[in-house]
Amino acid sequence: MVVLSGARWLRCRLTDRFWRVQEVLKYARHFRGRKNRCYKLAVRSVRRAFVKSTKARREKKRFLRALWITRIGAASLEHGLKYPSFISNLLKSQVELNRKVIADLAIYEPKTFKSLAALAQRRRQEGFLAALGDGKEPEGIFSRIVHRQY
Amino acid sequence: GVLVPVLVPVLVPSEVCWFLCWFLCWFPVRLVAKTSLSSPPWPEVKLPDPVEEAKYHAELVRRVNGLIAAGHYGRLFAVVHFASKQWKVTSEDLIMMDNVLEAECGDRIRMEKVLLVGADDFTLIGRPLLGKELVRVEATVIEKTESWPRINVRFRRKRNYQRTQIIVNPQTVLRINTIEVFPCLS
Repeated sequence: MVVLSGARWLRCRLTDRFWRVQEVLKYARHFRGRKNRCYKLAVRSVRRAFVKSTKARREKKRFLRALWITRIGAASLEHGLKYPSFISNLLKSQVELNRKVIADLAIYEPKTFKSLAALAQRRRQEGFLAALGDGKEPEGIFSRIVHRQY
Repeated sequence: GVLVPVLVPVLVPSEVCWFLCWFLCWFPVRLVAKTSLSSPPWPEVKLPDPVEEAKYHAELVRRVNGLIAAGHYGRLFAVVHFASKQWKVTSEDLIMMDNVLEAECGDRIRMEKVLLVGADDFTLIGRPLLGKELVRVEATVIEKTESWPRINVRFRRKRNYQRTQIIVNPQTVLRINTIEVFPCLS
């Protein structure tokens, strides 16, 4: 005979309340004040801590990129270039190092960073010369530059 | 009408040209008035002579080739593109990637996408990658584990909405054994 339901005088009692509480308190042990001991306060603090860490994981990427950009800008100013021209000229010279690595090079390999800055500076000057072109005027245009003077 | 005689200095045209050339050689005249737009806003740029520059480049390449061939470099570092990330790497370095690598523990791996190699005296910058016959970066797979359980909690207050997700990523740890450079620059 198979009995599918328990007898009516059996009560369902929670026997592992201690471990359920410890599961939450173990994340709160390093907190300050009563929220590292008292379950009611700890539950709220632990939940807020997890939510903040979830959101911060997305912002960490933005924050680190801004940090790298600041560091690269400061290092390139030491070599006479600004950050936008440094990065744009490096990309135009087909050097595809990302900002994390360039920031590490600026800190730990100063000679290499100096050579990268020189490369960017040279590409910048070539860009200026290319922008000026031949110095000739397009044909058939009446311009204010006087060509013959008597 | 009354004709007023006008005195005009008569000069033969050839004399005018000669005089003007001489004049302009000694006193160059700006044919454009100096305004804010008559010259570009950047300072004037002069590039070095291309022939001399080519000689200088060839000499530099020969010297660096000589250094590499003679082995006059200390510790080499390289920037490697691996697992969709760029790493600045030396020998005896540990690298941990957040995904699975299809190689067993103890397998030796060669990393092919090298962006930069440097030593104390020279750096080789790839545009964007360096040649495979120029650099060799070797690594060994050390361990394959899982990350610590990352907890994602989404919570909205007063709405009875709480979702918890525990994510465990597979990780692989590699040790960079050697970085070698070969003298095949040109």
